[in-house]
Amino acid sequence: MVELQGTLVLLILKTLARGPNHGFGIALHIQGASDGLLRVEEGSLYPALHRLERDKLVSAEWKVTGNKRRARYYKLTPAGRKWLAKAEDSWDAMSKGVGRVMRFA
Amino acid sequence: MKDRDDFREEIEFHVEMRAELNQEAGVPQDLARDSARRQFGNATLIQEEMRRMHVNTFFESFLQDLRYAARGFARQPLFTLTAVFAAALGIGSTTAVFSVVDRILFRSLPYAQDDRLVSLGMTAPLDTNEFLFADAYFDWRKHQTPFTSITSFTAGVADCDLTETNPMRLGCSMVEGNFLLTFGISPILGRNFTAEEDVPNGPRVALMTYGLWQSRFASDPNIPGKTVLIDGQPVTIVGVLPANFEMPTLVHPDLLFPEALDEARERAGRALRVFARLKPGVTLTQAQAAMQPLFESSLQYVPPQFRKEVHLRIRSLRDLQVQDARTASWVLLGAVGAVLLIACANIANLLLARATSRRKEMAVRAALGAGRGRLIRQTLTESLLLGVLGGLAGCALAWALLRMFVGLAPEGIPRLDQAALDPRVLLFTLAGSIASGLSFGIAPAIQNPQAESLTGSRTAGARRMLLREWLCAGQIAISLVLLASAGMLLRSLWKIQSVPMGLETEHVMTAEFVLSRLGYSEDARQHQFFNELETRLGRIPGVGSFAISDSLPPSGGTRGRLLASMQVEGQPPFDKGTGGLIMWRYVTPGYFASLGIPMVRGRAFTEEDRAPGASTMILSQTFAQRLFPNRNAVGQRIKTNEWATVVGVAADVKNLGPMQPSEPEYYILRRHVPDENSRIQEPPTGWRQAKVAIRTSVNPNVMAGWIKREFAALDAALPVTIGSMQRRVGRLVDRPRFNALLLTLFAGMGVLLAAIGLYGVMAFLVAQRTAEIGVRMALGATPGAITKLVLSRAAAWTLVGVLVGLAGSLFATRALGSMLFEVEARDPWTFLVVLPVLLLIALGAAWIPTLRASRVDPMTALRHE
Repeated sequence: MVELQGTLVLLILKTLARGPNHGFGIALHIQGASDGLLRVEEGSLYPALHRLERDKLVSAEWKVTGNKRRARYYKLTPAGRKWLAKAEDSWDAMSKGVGRVMRFA
Repeated sequence: MKDRDDFREEIEFHVEMRAELNQEAGVPQDLARDSARRQFGNATLIQEEMRRMHVNTFFESFLQDLRYAARGFARQPLFTLTAVFAAALGIGSTTAVFSVVDRILFRSLPYAQDDRLVSLGMTAPLDTNEFLFADAYFDWRKHQTPFTSITSFTAGVADCDLTETNPMRLGCSMVEGNFLLTFGISPILGRNFTAEEDVPNGPRVALMTYGLWQSRFASDPNIPGKTVLIDGQPVTIVGVLPANFEMPTLVHPDLLFPEALDEARERAGRALRVFARLKPGVTLTQAQAAMQPLFESSLQYVPPQFRKEVHLRIRSLRDLQVQDARTASWVLLGAVGAVLLIACANIANLLLARATSRRKEMAVRAALGAGRGRLIRQTLTESLLLGVLGGLAGCALAWALLRMFVGLAPEGIPRLDQAALDPRVLLFTLAGSIASGLSFGIAPAIQNPQAESLTGSRTAGARRMLLREWLCAGQIAISLVLLASAGMLLRSLWKIQSVPMGLETEHVMTAEFVLSRLGYSEDARQHQFFNELETRLGRIPGVGSFAISDSLPPSGGTRGRLLASMQVEGQPPFDKGTGGLIMWRYVTPGYFASLGIPMVRGRAFTEEDRAPGASTMILSQTFAQRLFPNRNAVGQRIKTNEWATVVGVAADVKNLGPMQPSEPEYYILRRHVPDENSRIQEPPTGWRQAKVAIRTSVNPNVMAGWIKREFAALDAALPVTIGSMQRRVGRLVDRPRFNALLLTLFAGMGVLLAAIGLYGVMAFLVAQRTAEIGVRMALGATPGAITKLVLSRAAAWTLVGVLVGLAGSLFATRALGSMLFEVEARDPWTFLVVLPVLLLIALGAAWIPTLRASRVDPMTALRHE
């Protein structure tokens, strides 16, 4: 389980980059895509989502799902997209650096 | 913001979806749900966290603070009212004065790049403004280098008549063809003068001001090209000036004509006002240096004796317009600034007192986890709210004050008619409110609330008390500065008013008029009018004596003649210097009797002196003294326009107003028929301009009607202004009176606020020490001893304030400078009056709480603890 706040935000935004989704969908995708390696404590997702909404990196609206249920859908805003691009760059740089250190260790 | 239900629904959806997934995986229904909840975590906590994400914004907490502050103020209406009242006084008076002074000192003039415009010319005695004779102007125009453009207009506004059905008296000025171009003004309708129009004997064309176009021609859009009759001559209107058009000297003509300077013939011609636009990057000093050689070479046009008294002057257009209003503007601005300062210190004190009583509340909030920054923000929000409330109330006060200013103001305050609470002024008010809110909020805000305050110990208050007393002393100091300044202006005013004018102004009425150019251009026609007028005025019942003159003292616009151009029989011609300009008036025999000017020697004019053979004149005492230092002037013969015999010496009149020494002058008698003197029809109005003085004991309103009737019978279309000599003389004191009045008003506000402040601090002190006083009394202190104890503290701080104030006054009153008349900047008499007044008020304010202290009942006081 990864505790890093920044990591969770990055994962959420990366997930939303594929298209709008509700909180449950985001949780499922993060679990699925990381082969269950990363398990998000499901509830903690929501305060993070709402903070992203407050900071205008994502926008949200109530919509009806395929099986006629009301769900709150989140969508990347242009600002969120920009933020994600930047964060991905620095993430790449960091993981490369970490990788190098690991190899030498 | 966000609804709680929304959060719950969002969480519910998640849990249900997870439960369904679990069920699909084969978990029984009830278990599936439970496990879904477990997987989610603490829903209540998470929901709370979600909410916090939205609530905890800066703006939200600001609104929260604001609501809290408003509730607090509503609970303490007396405190709130006092604070808002103080803020309103400070901000309101500052706003009102700023709205007037802004037009004078700061706001840009209605010309393109107004800071590049200058006024230039020569200065000479008797005209405070620079001018240039046409001949010198031609040279300057040709050879100047520091300006992109130089232009002129013929000084002044001449009366002219719109001679159509419904005739109308107008003001006409003459400007050079490039006048509008230099100032960056373009007509809103039609066009500017062309080069072909600004030539001698060119076509008769004119530009019309917006006001005339609106009022007389109903904003007719087809006016350009139309012809109107001015003084009986057809004039084509070529354009209409914009509504905000202003002459650079702030005169108000209705029509502008081309100046049509004639370079070939106008050598030694009219006096011009000259304006120019500086080239980019050229400073005033550089321009001055560049024009100096031109100025020196044009001294050749100045009579040799005159040259030493003539100087070059180049100054900004604003300096020309503001004239002597600058000092008064800054002084008034300083005065209201001082009032605002006192108000801020006052409110800071109130807030500090309130903060002391709120120490426990703050400490509780701090203990519950409010950060220091959060508490400071709360306190600052409160003071900002007070500042803005004060600003709102201040706007109402400013509106009332401004109306009072306009109502009371004397003539000659530049642009007073334009002063208003417009957006720019209101923006200033808002900035002032916020700044004062911050300034009086700082002290209470930085008081660090400490948990120990919860213990109720009182030691923490000592340092705060010292700050409060310093604030009090500061208020007293500033009030003293205000009082001293006001006192000096009042003393100046008193001195000015007690200067003997050399006139008996009571029961003297005046009538002023300018005969129209069309009907009275001829000398003979003027004489016919004046002779007829004399007969008619003499017939009015109740007229003691009367006189017709071209000018009346004290006034500008009096004719002058160079002493050097006169000649005294039996003396060599004057050759050293010009001797300056000597004023003279063209009067009928009743002049001295009507104005109550006594004769020092000889006699006044008589009707016989007007006979064709006789030629007489009268000198003022100063002038007689100057021409004939140790001899009798009566009987001497002097040549002005013609030779005349001095028949009398009249007492001096304060002809430049009470604040200046009497200028020498002489009087020439009007005859019934044209003569040498009446032939000089200069300046453009000639002798058509005249003033009548009538001594009468009849009720002025009744007499005004009678005078008007006689004029109407002579010339029904002639506008006549009726006034009184008393008003005419009084007008000269209007400016000093206005300044003194305003400063006294502001000083009164300052002292009132300071007294309230002192009272507040003393009352608080007494309340805080009630227990101590109780103990003292229980131990045998007499009420007298308690009074001494409390009052001595107030006296000590008042004394500190007075000492600081005295030192400040010595500097501040020096800034009054030219506003003082025969009063030293450190006038002891003013301080002798002002100091006791301030001390009495201060001790009076401290007395009430002291009285309360001396009546403390020891039992109640001790139980209080």
